[in-house]
Amino acid sequence: MQNFWKNALQWLDERLGLNELYQNLLDRPEPLGNWWNTLGSASLFLFLLQVATGIFLTVYYNPSPDHAYDSIQYIMNEVAFGWLIRGIHHWGASLMVLVVIIHMLRTFVTASYKYPRELTWLVGVGLLLLTLGMGFTGYLLPWHQMAYWATTVGTQIAGSVPFIGEFILRALRGGPDLSALTLQRFFAAHIWILPALMFALIGLHLYLIIKHGESHFPDKED
Amino acid sequence: MNEDVKQQIHEKYERELQRGERFWPDSIFKDAIMALALFIVLILLATFVGVHDSPKADPSDTSYIPRPEWYFLFLFKFLALYGQIPVLGKIEWIATALIPGIAIGILTLLPFIDKSPRRYYAKRALPLGIMGILVWGMVWLTLLADYPTVAPDGSSTPGILQAIAGIVIPLLAYIAFTVMAYTLKERAPHGILLTALGAGALMAGFSLLSMILYPLPAKETAEHPTSLVDRITAGQDLYSIHCLECHGEDGAVKVIEGVAGLEGTVISPISSRDVLYTLNDASLGEIIAYGRPDLGMPPFGKAYNPEGLTRAEIDYIIAFMRHTWDDRYEMPKIQPLFPPLAPNEVPSYEVHITPIVKRYCLSCHRPGKDSNDYFMDTYENILNSGDNGDMNVIAGDENSFLLQVIQGKPILNPDGSEAIGVMPPSGTLKPDVIEVFRRWVLMGMPRTAEEAATLTWPTP
Ligand code: HEC
Ligand code: HEC
Ligand code: HEM
Repeated sequence: MQNFWKNALQWLDERLGLNELYQNLLDRPEPLGNWWNTLGSASLFLFLLQVATGIFLTVYYNPSPDHAYDSIQYIMNEVAFGWLIRGIHHWGASLMVLVVIIHMLRTFVTASYKYPRELTWLVGVGLLLLTLGMGFTGYLLPWHQMAYWATTVGTQIAGSVPFIGEFILRALRGGPDLSALTLQRFFAAHIWILPALMFALIGLHLYLIIKHGESHFPDKED
Repeated sequence: MNEDVKQQIHEKYERELQRGERFWPDSIFKDAIMALALFIVLILLATFVGVHDSPKADPSDTSYIPRPEWYFLFLFKFLALYGQIPVLGKIEWIATALIPGIAIGILTLLPFIDKSPRRYYAKRALPLGIMGILVWGMVWLTLLADYPTVAPDGSSTPGILQAIAGIVIPLLAYIAFTVMAYTLKERAPHGILLTALGAGALMAGFSLLSMILYPLPAKETAEHPTSLVDRITAGQDLYSIHCLECHGEDGAVKVIEGVAGLEGTVISPISSRDVLYTLNDASLGEIIAYGRPDLGMPPFGKAYNPEGLTRAEIDYIIAFMRHTWDDRYEMPKIQPLFPPLAPNEVPSYEVHITPIVKRYCLSCHRPGKDSNDYFMDTYENILNSGDNGDMNVIAGDENSFLLQVIQGKPILNPDGSEAIGVMPPSGTLKPDVIEVFRRWVLMGMPRTAEEAATLTWPTP
């Protein structure tokens, strides 16, 4: 029996290169780290948690002004553990913004953005903006008063950019006012466009981190 | 950066790896604990704090004060404070586009702006100082977000204090840091640290001063219903206030009675299948919002009637109508309007009369309605208001007008004509409701539950 597993594992390894993966991804040396170094992977964890809970929410959510609010009420009141999933998604969004910002501040303070990790930082800024974008687009989806008016003002602000403001405003709202089209757009951005970009950038971010290794905490020599 | 420096950086990193840890299991272990801790925090937040909901979006209700997610609050506050600056404050795009644009630009290009290879903290006093004050400023702007920028007496002192804390001091600090970095040379880190601490303390001081001198305005916390049962109950109350006078308690009125101008109008009973099956929720909502002006039903939507109903409120009424009258819907278990009376119990205004009056009488008996000026909105008014204020409610007297009219006995003029019709004009109250009114008046109209508890209803 033991032999069977050994053979099976070997068979898989020959084809998948598990051992190589293990050596390259997991069995790496790292400089001495501390709890500040966990924030990047914590961001990743929260992102994946948002993806998982978000997929669940789309099963019941309906992105139309007539039904969005009621579908959320339905999730909260009728669906088994719907309140828990929505609660995690709601608080997870806030926590993720917080954790990503602190993660950025930590890499700033330890000057981890310097040679050879400039691109890691650059990709990171993209991730920060995408995270905030997720927060902004997600906030409108429950279609309640707070969301509706905050988004009205938020898109207005974007519309005050000189020359192209009017265009941005219309592109965001899908018209001069907030409407069913706006909700549809924000929904598409929130569940398809922004997450797809985030997956791509996170992949790049992680590749760069493995490539260069985690930076060490600077001392007087650096 | 020349090759030598790069070489040095790589060599130093190799040395750090030598005395370092393994990614697996050392780092992963910490990562896993962190993830678990965050997960537990989220579950606790979801369970014990929940999601704060607000009513359904209502494009016509422009009085709603927008409030973004907390992480954008600092920007909102910044814009509000910036808008107060004379002259410059009018050029909106400087604050909405230019300054955030520059900030994001600097953040993005940071590795290419700060190109020196030095990483040790003391050698990077300038960037650390600027980032420190920036973040500290964002924290205080966020905390100040809900505080008013204009005092109740109209002075703009709070706004000025906040602008000093959130904009002026940081700006001065950035300038001071830059000057120090280039003039003080070796002593620059020391100078920058002290300046940063001073500026940080001043920012906190001015913010706190504004918070203490001009505190938060008292917030009206309007509870709004979320569960289906709550929404149906809210809908029933709203229905009773706004619709009952014409359509009756059970929506079955076919001929309007007791409503000035519509006396005798024939209408279709809105609790009938005819109406409920032909109108879907959207058309029902539209009828309530626009009314039937040609047929005599006034518009109730906020857009047409400033005292009207919001979208959410209209939805509650629809939920009530569907779940009570539409046989395709199942009625969830609903709390009774008032706790049923025990054989010797005496009802009180607070516990029993308030919800009954709200449901059955208030729609006609409130300021602005012509019902003999008898207002039932407060305890005092129920006892004393009305054209027949001295007769309506008399402690211990079965002949109180109120008790007479709700028991189907109109009050007659000396010539035999009707002075006050039966109440409510369409339909009769259920016996248990009438019993509450009777015991309450006959036992002297106790106001609170405590007062009522001292009394006993004599059983024959
Ligand atoms: C001032 C009297 C009055 C009030 C108050 C009033 N209605 Fe009406 N309502 C009418 C009249 C008159 C009609 C038209 C009669 C008809 O269509 O048969 C009507 C029609 C309706 C209809 C359409 C019935 C149909 O057959 O198309 C609905 C639904 C309705 N009302 C609901 C309400 C609701 C809900 C409220 C409370 C928000 C309300 N009404 C308040 C007088 C009133
Ligand atoms: C459909 C509207 C309507 C409703 C609902 C209604 N009333 Fe009235 N009420 C009137 C009108 C109109 C008068 C003025 C007398 C008349 O026209 O009969 C009045 C008069 C009265 C008076 C006499 C006031 C005075 O000072 O002359 C009393 C008492 C009274 N109502 C009690 C009640 C009570 C108790 C209820 C709730 C169970 C109730 N009413 C519900 C319309 C209403
Ligand atoms: C969705 C958001 C993000 C995810 C999932 C993420 C993920 C990670 C992970 C797993 C690491 C390695 C562990 C660590 O150092 O904490 C890391 C490192 C890093 N991240 Fe991010 N990150 C995100 C956002 C950002 C942002 C906003 C920035 C900065 C603008 C940034 C800049 C960096 C840098 C410079 C490093 C290298 C740190 C070092 O080598 O010491 N990241 N990131």
